[in-house]
Amino acid sequence: MKYIGFSTGALARNDFRRALQMLTGKNVSAVELSALRQDELVPLIEQLDHLDLSPFKYVSFHAPSAMERSFEPVALELLLQVAARRWPIVVHPDAMYTPSEWRRLGSCLCVENMDKRKPIGQTAKDLAQIFETVPDASLCFDIGHARQVDPTMSEASAILHRFRDRIRQLHVSEVNTQSKHDPLSLESILAFHKVCHLVPADVPVILESRVEESEINGEIESALNALSADNLLALAGD
Amino acid sequence: MPGTESTAANSADLANSGLLRTCREAALKAREELDQLLSNEIPGYTSEDTSLVVFGSLARGEWTLGSDLDWTYLIDGGANPDHLLIAQIIQRLLEKNQAKFRPPGPTGTFGNMAFSHDIIHQIGGQNDTNKNTTQRILLLLESCAIGKRTDAYERVILGVINRYLDEDNHLLNPDSKSYRVPRFLLNDIVRFWRTMAVDFASKQRDRAGKGWGLRNAKLRMSRKLIFASGLLVCFSANLDPDLQTKISTDKKDGIKLTLVQHIRDCVRLTPLEILAKSMERYGVPQSIAKNLFDAYTEFLKLLSDDKSRTALDNLRSSDSRTDPTFRRIREISGVFESALDHVFFENKQIAPLTRKYGIF
Repeated sequence: MKYIGFSTGALARNDFRRALQMLTGKNVSAVELSALRQDELVPLIEQLDHLDLSPFKYVSFHAPSAMERSFEPVALELLLQVAARRWPIVVHPDAMYTPSEWRRLGSCLCVENMDKRKPIGQTAKDLAQIFETVPDASLCFDIGHARQVDPTMSEASAILHRFRDRIRQLHVSEVNTQSKHDPLSLESILAFHKVCHLVPADVPVILESRVEESEINGEIESALNALSADNLLALAGD
Repeated sequence: MPGTESTAANSADLANSGLLRTCREAALKAREELDQLLSNEIPGYTSEDTSLVVFGSLARGEWTLGSDLDWTYLIDGGANPDHLLIAQIIQRLLEKNQAKFRPPGPTGTFGNMAFSHDIIHQIGGQNDTNKNTTQRILLLLESCAIGKRTDAYERVILGVINRYLDEDNHLLNPDSKSYRVPRFLLNDIVRFWRTMAVDFASKQRDRAGKGWGLRNAKLRMSRKLIFASGLLVCFSANLDPDLQTKISTDKKDGIKLTLVQHIRDCVRLTPLEILAKSMERYGVPQSIAKNLFDAYTEFLKLLSDDKSRTALDNLRSSDSRTDPTFRRIREISGVFESALDHVFFENKQIAPLTRKYGIF
């Protein structure tokens, strides 16, 4: 059974407790604790021992997507505490000013492919260069980012072919032109169908769609549909 | 206005009474049901780049039992081969539910994809096809997006309005105290009305007279209503006192954007609502307003009646002078046109603009 759940940052910005509350009683088995902004990192790490994460069979952690260079050593020290729990730590390539230092996170380091806004990390070629600097890192494949970069999903296919074995988790959402994470539309679902056969079957799925609490289960259903090639024909009605 | 019979509140009441209200409520319900059907069967059927837009009676708030569902899958974004597939999925679903949502006519103007680039860029010139003009003007004057995501629809409407205003050299009158009537937009609305009238004859020929009665009735009433409401939107640029107070002469873009917003706000209303609002604003006598809305109510009553609608649909032009249903249409449309004549040729504020912009 595929583990699936939400990023806390998608459900309640800057309020991980509220997000965890929203997931109570939903069809989720995974969660990503999100500290997307630099100032969210300390409060979240301080609370890790006090959060009830028992409903989740898979937990990952999202490091700040951008930070001041001077904060990098502080962030790394804090993230080592997360690594001690053996949770994957999702990091944006451009947030790693000194990649050699990030190797300290070992196999917990999980690099994410990027959207159009970021200077690097969108293509298979970019990722190859990044993995040269952090060879033990795994990949958080953001299929929504990949679609935003190339709606034909050719680049997504290239990334999946080249780095399939590195994939530790998926990020799923519709990434709009402003690089915001929207609920999945049929356009995204059809695009994801084109490469879903290349995605390892049991890789955990973290949704980043910004949805209301009442929409959580529906969005999970859409994501599962998007990642299942079997449903394509049913949808098309043929 | 001094010296005229006040219609304050009355026109709005007339446009919101009896059958007109029933049809509007039916339209709102049908739109909800359409969204429900699409959401259940095709989750995520719209996106940031695509909207499902309906036109015709459903958008005008005049939904009756025999109404067609005129829809288009409007695309404003990167080219994506899957857009056709999605439009076809929508088409198939609606075909399966045609007892509730009757498919659009055979011209191909509706029931498939439409692209923002053509709608916005191809105004006039060789590439502005009949279909493109129709989609553009109806998008402005009688359209409504279905579902939660309406981003593409909103962008395209604003794009179209901006494009019309871009082509007008001066948006303000020489004294900079009032807006001019946006002539490019107005000319396109007039052109569309005449195109519909000419196409009426063309369709009569193409379809060997089939559907003549119903098309003729619509031309006399609902199509004419769209034209009248379009003219009033254009005239309001010059006549709306609130708009004139927003003129800021130090910002050129500000002048345009204020007018864009004004036109956008106007076309959020249905054509009947635009008429009702104009009648109140310009002090059209209550008796005229009553005639107009009563005539339109009678028209919708005929369309709501299965027997009358079928009779109109089956009527050939050769029988039009003897057919009792069509005779009734002629009476109703006579009253409707007479009321419009009063509004456009006798009202002290509107008549000068009709003379200046409406003919030559």
